[in-house]
Amino acid sequence: MKKRAIIILVCSLFVIIAGTSLWYYLRHNTIFSADIERNDAIEVTPELIRSIKDIGQWEFLSVKEEELVDTVRKGIFSDDHLVRIYQGTLSIGVDLQQIKDHNIFFQSDTLHVILPPIQLLDENFIDEAGSRSFHESGRWSPAAREALYQKAKRQMMAHALTPRNYQSAQEYGEVQVRKMLQNMGFNHTVVSFSNGK
Amino acid sequence: MNRNSLFFYVILCLTTMFGCEGKENANGSAEEVDTLQMLVMQARQCSRLYTTEYHIHKIVTHNDLISLKGKLFNQDYQFRLPIGDRKIAFPIDATLKGYIDMDQLSERNFIREGNKLTIILPNPKVVMTSSKIDQANVKEFVSLTRAHFSDRELAEFERQGREAIINNIPNYGIEQQTRKNAARLLIPIVTKMGFNEEDVTISFSDDFNPSILLKSVELNTSEK
Repeated sequence: MKKRAIIILVCSLFVIIAGTSLWYYLRHNTIFSADIERNDAIEVTPELIRSIKDIGQWEFLSVKEEELVDTVRKGIFSDDHLVRIYQGTLSIGVDLQQIKDHNIFFQSDTLHVILPPIQLLDENFIDEAGSRSFHESGRWSPAAREALYQKAKRQMMAHALTPRNYQSAQEYGEVQVRKMLQNMGFNHTVVSFSNGK
Repeated sequence: MNRNSLFFYVILCLTTMFGCEGKENANGSAEEVDTLQMLVMQARQCSRLYTTEYHIHKIVTHNDLISLKGKLFNQDYQFRLPIGDRKIAFPIDATLKGYIDMDQLSERNFIREGNKLTIILPNPKVVMTSSKIDQANVKEFVSLTRAHFSDRELAEFERQGREAIINNIPNYGIEQQTRKNAARLLIPIVTKMGFNEEDVTISFSDDFNPSILLKSVELNTSEK
């Protein structure tokens, strides 16, 4: 009887120890887990400097724009849509490389500076790599995206290149150049633009 | 089911079958209607003298691998699922410009001693003024079992390519070029005002180092 009780006690202890060990192992270890992993990052590729250009663009007005451009391909019962948001910054100012010798001269004690006309300084102003996709249904080709880019560009130019913005750039440019000349010690100055828009 | 209902269902099935494809016009392309809407326009007066323009070219590539990853008896495992390839490559051309912020100039930046003139310009800054995806050379390889890349996915890869170009700006040497070109541009203009070329000095603030440049890299377009 006594021997049987000892056997039961030993077995019970063994079961408790084994159970506790198993519980501890399962708690701190993984028997099986599975996840689908997708690679969302681009590969590492080099950046190449294609060209370096000396420029002399003095910007007086910066017009930042965001355009929502939408293309719809009509179907009989369902339409395909592609909606993108483009961002761009148009720089308006003067190209100092157009200044000629006769554009800077003295008349008695007055310094005359005739600046080149106010213009859009760079036709490439859209940050296409920073554009956002808003909605897409159906399959669209790279040519459709290129067409959207061109439309966004035309629209941004139509919105930003207004007589009012040209005027604003010219006025600020005049203030800036006059201030610089005064800082250089020229108190009597006349600043003008050769063909202000 | 009476005859009218049967006729209705037949018509419904036929229209569903043929209604999935877009209406093609005489040229074989579907009719497209475009609308444009301006979201934001912000005009700001500024005074920036851009003296250097860099054209950067980068080919962005992405290989969409799907793998099963996990643990088996506490041992890591990972293997590629054989469900087909999906790859894309496209070139990005970005324009970076180095400029001097002329708004920061004040009387203290111009030192005139007799016929000599010293102009102390602020440190150059760099801005990405444009980026363009070469859509004509986008190459996409997609297995039959996989879906094509969505516009949202493409926009994300473009954003990553743009970020890589921006992160590399301190290595292009734009700041040194901007300084040299600023002097090359301003000295002839100042000499036309009556100064001798040897009497004009263009200098820059001395606290320049690449980490400052990285801080001064400004994105022309807002990051969202």
